[in-house]
Amino acid sequence: MKLDVELTPREEVPRWMGYGTPVFTILAALAVSAVALVALDVSPLAAYRIMFVQTLTTSFGLTETVAKAVPLIFVGLAVYLPLKAQLWNIGAEGQLFLGAIAGTWVGVNVSLPTYALLPLMFVAGGLAGAVWIAVPAWLRAKLGINEIITTLLFVFIATEIKNYLVRGPMQAPGANFPQTPGLPAAARLPDLPIVGFPAGIVLAIALVGLIHVLLNYTRLGFEITFIGANDEAAEHAGMSKFKIYMIVLLSGGAIAGFAGVSEMAGVQGRLRAQFAPGYGFTAIPIALLGRNGAVQVMLAALFFAVLFVGGSSIQTLLSVPAAIVNIIQALVILFLITAEFFKQYSIDLSLTKRPDSNAAGRVEGDL
Amino acid sequence: MAGLVTGLANATVNASTVLILAGLGELISERAGVLNLGVEGIMLVGALSGFVTAFVTGSYWLGFGVAILAGGLISLVHAFLCISLNSDQAVSGIMLTLLGTGLTTYFGNSWSGKSISGFPERTLPLVGEYLVEIPILGTALFQSTVTDYAALLLVPVVWLFLYRTNIGLELVSVGEDPETADTMGVDVFKMRYLAVVLGGMFAGAAGAHLSLAFNEIWSASMTSGRGWIAVALVIFARWRPERILLGAYLFGLFNALQLYSQGLDITLGTGVPLAGLLNPVLNFVLNPTIMSTYPYIVTLLVLVLTVFRAENRELAQPSALVQSYSRELD
Repeated sequence: MKLDVELTPREEVPRWMGYGTPVFTILAALAVSAVALVALDVSPLAAYRIMFVQTLTTSFGLTETVAKAVPLIFVGLAVYLPLKAQLWNIGAEGQLFLGAIAGTWVGVNVSLPTYALLPLMFVAGGLAGAVWIAVPAWLRAKLGINEIITTLLFVFIATEIKNYLVRGPMQAPGANFPQTPGLPAAARLPDLPIVGFPAGIVLAIALVGLIHVLLNYTRLGFEITFIGANDEAAEHAGMSKFKIYMIVLLSGGAIAGFAGVSEMAGVQGRLRAQFAPGYGFTAIPIALLGRNGAVQVMLAALFFAVLFVGGSSIQTLLSVPAAIVNIIQALVILFLITAEFFKQYSIDLSLTKRPDSNAAGRVEGDL
Repeated sequence: MAGLVTGLANATVNASTVLILAGLGELISERAGVLNLGVEGIMLVGALSGFVTAFVTGSYWLGFGVAILAGGLISLVHAFLCISLNSDQAVSGIMLTLLGTGLTTYFGNSWSGKSISGFPERTLPLVGEYLVEIPILGTALFQSTVTDYAALLLVPVVWLFLYRTNIGLELVSVGEDPETADTMGVDVFKMRYLAVVLGGMFAGAAGAHLSLAFNEIWSASMTSGRGWIAVALVIFARWRPERILLGAYLFGLFNALQLYSQGLDITLGTGVPLAGLLNPVLNFVLNPTIMSTYPYIVTLLVLVLTVFRAENRELAQPSALVQSYSRELD
């Protein structure tokens, strides 16, 4: 007897799958992570209660979550936009560092009133992020060199450049710590009136809207999606793959640069050597969860923000290592790419008699 | 000066073993067409499981074995996703790194800071005493732990495996052209599974070398990016095992130079300061932090070079790298 697995490509993805998958994935990841919590003698229910309910029902928790969500929305979009053209920007972390460096430098060295200084910082940070992805982008668009490896290599170079700058040329004068001078008040993002959320969230939401409109209602957006769906057909239709690849990757780099600026101006207040948030990797499950649209990317980023804030709460309250968040993150990716398979194929299992099928001998010859 | 060079050689060879092991593993996997960005995570799993086993049982040999096994087991996840489910290889690999880092930080918490006595440094029997006397490289090469020797030995073994055995040739053919290999009767799925699991076992061994021989402690994220260097190393080596050795020494040398350059005299012993403008440039170029970017920059250059020399198949990347293969559905 032999277990027969028959795969049939689906002609159409059932509608419920598009919306159900992200939800199912998150629930499955939380269920499996519960095993890890039980293994350390922690009640998963208590942990998840603190993680989600407490985080979302206290004003401190909400503010923290929104602050955390800002860079995550940016990096999520930085991966999502190139992904629309089937390109993986794995190096958002590096572009974020460059954005943080350029933004901080402008904030510290240029004296202008807030309304001029903050935009200048974002422009500088966005440019730096775009410059940082320019080489991988060009190598991909022109020479076809895999962008996954090159953007990743640039992360490691960016990390060392950041370390070098905060220990040398950009180090605060007279400081013993590897850090830049603090940003002046004019270079800090204010909190929103009434709700008290960090103002970066407004920019993030605006960008989500912009990308939503770009992808759904413009010719450029159509070209990006078309190239992502079938690059050969798109080229036959007269679209320039080179142009689109450069546009999505450079914009991705710039958006990741914004993440760095908003983190400096909104949260950290200065660039430190130990600033290594790992947002670039979190961006991958965010972009995957939010594959269906920019708004979904934002929701996914909010989910991870809750996870991070709640993760540090259970670390202090239940002495659970915050690494549980990494585990949940990995499981979300794991279940998402598994679900991707079930979206593409329907599966039939059946038991049949084993046929004699070991006849095909290997042909000897030059391999 | 001689002392400095000997010290540098020692540090270089010491730092390179983990890169040789992890690099060879990644190479085997990529040769069959499967990119594995999970090396960093697999190494951590190997380092922790090996350490805990050695700590509990007192046997570093057992620890080493368990680490290899654990490396193979966790890489099965990557194999299943990429080979059976045709998932995106880059995403799956990054997932594995996140998972490995998360799991080992989470469960390794209570082990961190504990130390063990791992593999001792030994000279080779019979000839060892004489070889150690060789100037500069003597102690570096011939007064090492058994894992150092094993890594060196594995370079020709992997070379022979890939180019001189049937199963190795089948593995390489699967990475070059799975369709043709399939029609010639090679089981593409089996070969790719074998390559990914074998690669994971090498990465597990690399991690165990770190915690059982190199550091003799466990601490969270102790691989500190070496898994990513291993990925870069394979590109640098242009997918050839013998060049892994060369590359690992080069990457190890940069690592060692970083340690030594902190007190480096940029007048090169002459005592005469170099002329004006050159000084800041040299200071920048020889800065230990800046130096640690060189391996990545060199790797990038090699990557660009391989594209221009793609017609020379010996030097190029496996043609089917990062491509999933499915028989029934194409």
